Amino acid sequence: MLAIELTGITKRFPGVVANDDINLEVAEGEIHAICGENGAGKSTLMKILYGMQPPDSGTIRIQGEEVELHSPAQAIELGIGMVHQHFMLADQFTVLENVILGAEPMRSLGRIDFDAGREHLDEVGRAYGLDINADDLVESLEVGERQRVEIIKVLYRGAEILILDEPTAVLVPQEVDELFRNIRELKASGATILFIDHKLDEVLEIADTITVLRQGRTVGTVKPDQVTAHDLAEMMIGSELPVPDAGESTVTEEVALELSGLRVAAEGDRAVVDDVSLSVHRGEIVGIAGVEGNGQAELVNAIIGIQDPDQGTITLLGRDITHVSVRHRREMGLGYVPQDRHRDGLLLGFTLWENAALGHQTEAPYSRGPWLSRPGMRGRANRIKDEFDVRTPNIEVSAHALSGGNQQKLILGREMVAGPAVLIANHPTRGIDVGAQAAVWDDIREARSRGLATLLVSADLDELIGLSDTIVVMLRGRLVARLDPNDITPRDLGAYMTGAALEAGAP
Amino acid sequence: MTERLTHRLMLASAAPVAAVVIAVVLSSIVLLISGSNPLAAYADMVQHASKLETQVDILNRATPLYLSGVAAAIGFRMNLFNIGVEGQYLLAFIVAAHLGAQVELASVLHVAFILVVAMAVGGAFSGAAGVLKVTRGVNEVISTIMLNAVVISGLAAWWIVEWQAGGEISATGGRVGTEPIAESGLLPDINSWLEVFTREVGLGKKLTGMMLVAVAVGVVYHVILNRTVFGFDLRSSGANPTASHVGGVSPKRMVVIAMTLSGMVAGLVGMTELMNTGYYPSNPISLLGFTGIAVALLGRNHPAGVAVAALIFGFLDVSSGILQISGAASREIVEIMKGVIILTAVIAYEVVRRIREREEAAAAAAAMAAGPAEAS
Amino acid sequence: MHKRLFSLLAILLSFALLATACGDDEEAETVAEPEPAAAEPEPEDEMADISVGLVFDIGGRGDQSFNDSAAAGIERAVAELGITFTEASPEPDGSNRGELLQLAASAHDIVIGVGFLFEGDAAAVGAENPDTMFGVVDSAMLDFSGDTPTPFGDNIAGLVFAEHEGSFLVGAAAALKSETGKIGFIGGVANVGGLIERFEAGFNAGARAVNPDIEIIGDYITEAPDFDGFNAPDRAKEIALAMYEEGADIVYHAAGGSGAGLFQAALEQSDATGSKVWAIGVDSDQYHTADAGVRDHILTSMLKRVDVSIFEMIRSVIEGTMQPGPTTYDLSVDGVGYSTSGGFIDDIADQLDAFKAQIVSGDIAVPTEP
Repeated sequence: MLAIELTGITKRFPGVVANDDINLEVAEGEIHAICGENGAGKSTLMKILYGMQPPDSGTIRIQGEEVELHSPAQAIELGIGMVHQHFMLADQFTVLENVILGAEPMRSLGRIDFDAGREHLDEVGRAYGLDINADDLVESLEVGERQRVEIIKVLYRGAEILILDEPTAVLVPQEVDELFRNIRELKASGATILFIDHKLDEVLEIADTITVLRQGRTVGTVKPDQVTAHDLAEMMIGSELPVPDAGESTVTEEVALELSGLRVAAEGDRAVVDDVSLSVHRGEIVGIAGVEGNGQAELVNAIIGIQDPDQGTITLLGRDITHVSVRHRREMGLGYVPQDRHRDGLLLGFTLWENAALGHQTEAPYSRGPWLSRPGMRGRANRIKDEFDVRTPNIEVSAHALSGGNQQKLILGREMVAGPAVLIANHPTRGIDVGAQAAVWDDIREARSRGLATLLVSADLDELIGLSDTIVVMLRGRLVARLDPNDITPRDLGAYMTGAALEAGAP
Repeated sequence: MTERLTHRLMLASAAPVAAVVIAVVLSSIVLLISGSNPLAAYADMVQHASKLETQVDILNRATPLYLSGVAAAIGFRMNLFNIGVEGQYLLAFIVAAHLGAQVELASVLHVAFILVVAMAVGGAFSGAAGVLKVTRGVNEVISTIMLNAVVISGLAAWWIVEWQAGGEISATGGRVGTEPIAESGLLPDINSWLEVFTREVGLGKKLTGMMLVAVAVGVVYHVILNRTVFGFDLRSSGANPTASHVGGVSPKRMVVIAMTLSGMVAGLVGMTELMNTGYYPSNPISLLGFTGIAVALLGRNHPAGVAVAALIFGFLDVSSGILQISGAASREIVEIMKGVIILTAVIAYEVVRRIREREEAAAAAAAMAAGPAEAS
Repeated sequence: MHKRLFSLLAILLSFALLATACGDDEEAETVAEPEPAAAEPEPEDEMADISVGLVFDIGGRGDQSFNDSAAAGIERAVAELGITFTEASPEPDGSNRGELLQLAASAHDIVIGVGFLFEGDAAAVGAENPDTMFGVVDSAMLDFSGDTPTPFGDNIAGLVFAEHEGSFLVGAAAALKSETGKIGFIGGVANVGGLIERFEAGFNAGARAVNPDIEIIGDYITEAPDFDGFNAPDRAKEIALAMYEEGADIVYHAAGGSGAGLFQAALEQSDATGSKVWAIGVDSDQYHTADAGVRDHILTSMLKRVDVSIFEMIRSVIEGTMQPGPTTYDLSVDGVGYSTSGGFIDDIADQLDAFKAQIVSGDIAVPTEP
């Protein structure tokens, strides 16, 4: 019996065929992984299955019945539930309140029947082996627990087919293990799981069946015991999966960036960055590991100058820049690749050549004195486009016409051609496809060999371990460990990030 | 390439053309419903506007509207809604009128002094709203509305009494104005410039010399905005303050500067009247500040676009008279046409923007599919 | 940004609607009377080939006061003198008064601007069109720049009123009808060269002529150059309610469109307290022009006979007797007066007529400054 059968699903967006004649068969009670690079069409396919977007053509069968889905509500009725990558929870509500939100059991006179809700919640928890305290405030929960609340929310509404959209992206390895245990429990209780991911080892570990998408098409459906990660990678991108690799050390004695006793306070004088001292040498990549929200963002803001530290000093190339303006720091050779391209990196409605100047508009060849130089801006933009392989018809289009990966290459190129002494790379490969990811890594490595000092903040542990010369771990605003990437695994690093390794008394 | 250029040009001009066509159609319907003959009304308007004297009226009307539109546009470029142009120009008007009457200077210096005072007052007053925004988080819409009230029913009301020309109140209570500025402080009309191309201007109509100042303001606005680092800072900070901040542009600084510049241009709005009459009257032309917002909107904050919008508004305002006198239609039709033009222009621009965005996305997707970018 | 754009648009549209709503409801049509020398037996020689361009002030017809009174005058001139006319009103910002006068001058024999705000433009346009006769209501049309005031031109007349005399009569009426011994005055805009203060002076003098001990509360809504006071009914209502609360039972206004707020206040105060309070209107008979619901509270109105002045001015042009400079229309020619609609002051008509006679004869000199 097939839980889901998709036949010939096609979906076009302006200029892009997101799904091109996709076929997918998911058996009842199996864990079915959908893999593919970013932009391969996974998300679109799931949105179609969840009723958020109608397909242009093709048929959908659920439990053998042909259906037309027009809304998530309809999908939920058919027993399909979706756990989004970004949680949709109200922080100030308890777990119970979040779970019943929108599906409240009612008593007379419009009162909510919390007892019935709690009973049903406990039932669901027991049935699927999911352990959660109904009265905890969501804001007090760890990321993994929040995800569990999302899953319970879906199950509470009677879902038998669960779509999990990149559920491991936000988790540290220990939490991933927990998630996988839960998923297996769900399967044992009879649920069908659609698992979207692009981390091949995870997929091989958890899935019963794997369907690979590439450029909107189904490349093939395989069993995990028949393939290796290498095979899957080939299917996904048509070539071998790139791995970050720092290569020979190029670290020099010369300190490019030095932080000393840095403290940044949030509201109420709570230190979000607490007594951080760190130096980055020319030719060195220092990786900062840490679960998001442990002060990395504030640390980066203090270094680039948009947040004032209240104690400590920042030294760039031997000069104290603690209270120097952002512009001056940039002119002194501080490059920055932001975490959120759209918010911090680009002027989406502006042309590429204007974006190529952003942050460097006071420098040659973008300007001379107070005057902009359009030829200089266009020339640089074309150079960035060529050297960093920014795929665009020309440099006159606006930035939002580009895909995420190409936007990121534009930003990295912009920072690199300015010849920085220090680069702050904040999640430089987040949300971009494998090809662009490899290009970004190559570029950073190459600049390192020319003497660039890089501070790399990332949630991708493979990236951190692969690229960094040194890794420091940030926990609750402090640097709690300094590690050698050559003898640490992602698993160990994850233990440091959650603080588990420290409590266990590890080095 | 030429084909693509033509296509781009067509897209760019599609919006304003569509807006005007739709506005004419809708206005015709309104005219028909109200029992007027649209063709007769349009014929009156066109015929009236074809007279040289009317054209002088249109330019005189468009000049302060243009300045007001540019003042609003500077704010919009920075994502600021300076609704206080109204108060800024009236305050600059009365202060410049008063101080201008106190000094004796050589002609050019006198005019320059008055214009500088007006710009300084407008800039300081508007800049104050900017400072309030960045230091106290007061939304500029709220603060400029409040400051409008401070000027209109406060400072100007007080000073007009304080500074009124002594003993020149007519027996029946006609006029209360400030002391008149000496001849040296007035900007002569530029009829002679116009008459080089045309016949002599009749009916005592005088083309305001402030038109030259407005043109200069437009050129400076264009150059600063598009050709200088500062202009780039301003545009980028307006489009995306966080990205711009990361790129070295302090958003707070830009807010204060943009509000100040906007106020400086606003200060010039009232100078069209002052440079002609030489005093601040009891009933200065009002509402120019608010109309300027519409002019900036229609002109897409673009220096030339705002000029076209100011001329369209000037034309419509001047047409209101002939429609009434000839009996072709009531003057409300002019207000309706303004509203319809703005509405259709905004919608048309939005449609064109989406078309362009879609085409760009398609081209970029095609480039991606085509493989690595080729060196060009 | 787009959200911002649309909220902006909404604001602009509401401005446009407001501007439209402020205007008159009817079409500004050419009221060309096709039957020359119709019914009225006014045997003028050159009837029917005189045309008048009437330029209202902002708002046009329907202001219940000034413009409406002018409209009544021009319609009487159509009926009795057989003239033709067109009418126009300026942009809401008052930017095109001069243009309208010029346009009217190019098509008409006589051009009349309703309101002193036409003063400067009429002087300029009048100089350009020496063959057209110009009249400006409420302005002396004198040039004060020389040593002695002189008319702006031989073709330019000012139509002014002895408002203080009319105000005297309604002040006397208020004092005669007041039961609390307390009355009030609301001015629209202070310091417009003493324009509105004249009303207050006459009103106070009339009241004291009846009752020297009467208490008079006076207030202005705004001060020049803030002309909102002429069109701020909400603020007038607040002021009026405060006066009624203080014990005034009759309040007179000289505040143009703001008067509607006074009338509303009188109605509400009466309903709330059960004891009837009154309002006195201004310029035209507001018993007829105000909302029907409030007319029972309008004791009388001080009539500034803009209609008389316009009619008389047109007639003087036809008869060739027009005087350049100011012509004051006072009680002796019924240029000012009071209304009796509703019959609320019929019982004191004799006393008021006596005051009127004393003023006309010069026995009472009405002051012009409070």
